[in-house]
Amino acid sequence: MTDKNLALQASSIKMSKLTVCSRCIYDERVDGIFFDMDGICNFCHQVDTLIAEYRTGTVEGESRLETILNQIKLKGKGKKYDCIIGVSGGTDSSYMLFLAKKWGLRPLAVHYDNTWNSAIATENIRKVLSTLDVDLYTHVVDNKESEDIFRAFFFAGVAEMEASTDLAFAEVLYRAAWKYNVKYVLEGHSFVTEGITPIGRNYFDGRYIKSVHSLFGRRRMQSYPLMTFGRFLFWTCFARIRKIRPFWYLDYSKEDAREFLQDRCDWVYYGGHHLENRMSSFLHSIYLPQKFSTDMRNNTLAALVRNGLLTREEGWEEYNTPPLVEEALLEYTKKRLDLTDEEYLRVMALPPRSWWEFPTYKKLFELLRPLFQLLAATDLVPKSFYIKYCLPKKNKK
Amino acid sequence: MVRTRIIPTLLLRNESLVKTVKFGKFSYIGDPCNAVRIFNELEVDELVFLDILASPRGTEPNYKLLRDIADECFMPMGYGGGIKTAEQAHKIFSIGFEKVFLNTSIVNNPNLIEQISTAYGSQATAVSIDVKKNIFGNYKVVTCGGRKRTALDPVIWAKEAEKMGAGEILLTAVDCEGTWQGMDCDLISKVSSAVNIPVIAQGGAGNIGDIGEGIDRGGASAVALGSMVVFQKQGMGVLVNFPDKKLIEVELGKH
Amino acid sequence: MITIVDYGLGNLGSIKNMFNRLGIPSLITSDIDQISSASKILLPGVGSFDNAMSRINHGSLRKVLDLKALEECIPIMGICLGMQLLTNGSEEGSLPGLGWVPSKAVRIPAQQGLKVPHMGWNKVLPTSRSKLTENLPNNARFYFVHSYCVKVEHTKYSILKTNHGIDFDAAIQNNNIFGVQFHPEKSHKFGMQILQTFADI
Repeated sequence: MTDKNLALQASSIKMSKLTVCSRCIYDERVDGIFFDMDGICNFCHQVDTLIAEYRTGTVEGESRLETILNQIKLKGKGKKYDCIIGVSGGTDSSYMLFLAKKWGLRPLAVHYDNTWNSAIATENIRKVLSTLDVDLYTHVVDNKESEDIFRAFFFAGVAEMEASTDLAFAEVLYRAAWKYNVKYVLEGHSFVTEGITPIGRNYFDGRYIKSVHSLFGRRRMQSYPLMTFGRFLFWTCFARIRKIRPFWYLDYSKEDAREFLQDRCDWVYYGGHHLENRMSSFLHSIYLPQKFSTDMRNNTLAALVRNGLLTREEGWEEYNTPPLVEEALLEYTKKRLDLTDEEYLRVMALPPRSWWEFPTYKKLFELLRPLFQLLAATDLVPKSFYIKYCLPKKNKK
Repeated sequence: MVRTRIIPTLLLRNESLVKTVKFGKFSYIGDPCNAVRIFNELEVDELVFLDILASPRGTEPNYKLLRDIADECFMPMGYGGGIKTAEQAHKIFSIGFEKVFLNTSIVNNPNLIEQISTAYGSQATAVSIDVKKNIFGNYKVVTCGGRKRTALDPVIWAKEAEKMGAGEILLTAVDCEGTWQGMDCDLISKVSSAVNIPVIAQGGAGNIGDIGEGIDRGGASAVALGSMVVFQKQGMGVLVNFPDKKLIEVELGKH
Repeated sequence: MITIVDYGLGNLGSIKNMFNRLGIPSLITSDIDQISSASKILLPGVGSFDNAMSRINHGSLRKVLDLKALEECIPIMGICLGMQLLTNGSEEGSLPGLGWVPSKAVRIPAQQGLKVPHMGWNKVLPTSRSKLTENLPNNARFYFVHSYCVKVEHTKYSILKTNHGIDFDAAIQNNNIFGVQFHPEKSHKFGMQILQTFADI
């Protein structure tokens, strides 16, 4: 366990004492990692497999996507919108909206507001939507409830402080789809540019959130849109709302997308530091690095290295540079989470805990693996969900 | 010449920001401090915060929340909601607000206006007048978050407030609030033409043209926006924003 | 370190907040010793002229301020009422002002179509050149809220002017002594620029 508490490494890969993948920059600290005879990690192989399966960036991949797009249009005839696109103000979702309009779709933009948005995010959303004349549906959680849930996760000492946002987003996308009788949700995830986040420090499900909140929360959950297992099954098996990820089929470059967005509608890049949402910012630039001696920049960096956009040395060096912290971010976070300086330091110093120490649906997901395999084959759940949640976790405790 | 002010008015309910329709049903908008940060970035002229439960519940202003809000704000701010005494007003000023808006309490105690404006200046003392039509179609002042009807005529009441030392009037047409259907220019012009102090018109603005009308036909010195600054568009999702300043200037330039 | 004088009037918290945001150390104090050892002073003010002057004249504060301004010649800036206090006197009151900048404060005349107090955002135009204002962009605007305005005795003391029916001085300067009629702490990025520049002088 002591290995896991290593802080930033020397910025030269050769000098590192850790085993690092020979192809990307994931090192042995990544949960669930193992290396083949050539030193290549299983996550690289996972991405390769997905690329082969989805024919990413090939003519066939494009044609598969086209088939799906035609189905979307067909199913959407006579309805106000034919697809849902979750928006955050970030690169992927903003670009996805432009593509959707280009493809002739009639999207409804959907946003879950955890009340920690920065002006950049809100303005980006506004600019993109008004340029494209796309309507917006939002669900805003009560700000005090939002704080209470984050606070609960902070006191629980786990890494997934953003679990409530991620899950709520998923639930709100489904609710919007249900309200307008839309059967397709388009998501901007790309395993090529981001990889599949290892489950180790990024688990979220409704039971996990509920149990952490009931142990450490102080306010009733009322406005927070909790996705229980029952709701999850309802959305996937009964409402049959499909999740489509166009960037799994197409070539996609985040850099090109950003340039395009800046040109077309004065969209602003918030930097790779998640400044679009202050809770994300806190998580990625302070909480994870300081408490877990890690952060999730390695996901994007590893992906860039895999694609040859960065050398391994460059990726490793950047990963081991301390992240930029927005001034006053910590004060803002403490204020909203109602933490004194002492409380904050005390809790940060406590040993980190893991999601598997709390009640979750994980066993249930594993038990129902055949069902989810079927659902993944028909895009009713994303394939990445199946890979992450339904396969038994290789515990490296 | 002072630019015509366009002022986002944000409603506080407990510790959340909400938006109502005709002073009734409300939707969650978000966190007040976070919204202020966004308005800072958008460089709006001024913000007004109104606590919609303070008078109905008879509670004190939430000074802690107001302090948190003031810490984030680099533009002038006004506060209204439950202010009954000069001491309370003093507390609000020392937290960092420029103005207080008096509403329910002054109907029975108009001297409060004089007390506060003598001590802090008329420019810091504003009066908030909520107006609804009664069954005869006459404009009447309502108080306590729209829950209590009075027999007061808004024009007479506005003049009285001016006499007592108010520096400004926030005039809200309750029947238009949250409807996006346009402002009540009749009401606005009746009151604006009766007083010499600035009148901020509120209630019903749904687009930039409505803002222009409120100023031109209504004669208001400023316009307060509610729904327009917290929703993407009518009937759609929450999105804190401010109308395009260039478009506003063009519209105001017409009048 | 900017010393913000607390004589019982003025919105000190907001000014300090803006300095905090700019990363400039500042101190709010009424302590005579601390004011005596200040290297830069800010004189805020909201309220009435006589009330402010009598508070300043009370105790040894007046003596210390005169020393800092006129003998040690450290940079001092008055904000809003604080700027009016720098004058010889105001129509609002009967007490003499600090007299550090030859000028007087007069009531803004009531005019057709214009309301008094002058309240809201307004543009400014540079008059005489000054380190404090030379880098302001053309579209600079600030938040004003006042019923009395300042007229300097000689144009060389005026560094910014504005108009509300009549022209009057939005900012004044006499060597190390500055005054701004508007509220920089309520004027966004423009206010931040003024406070930053003052801190850099």
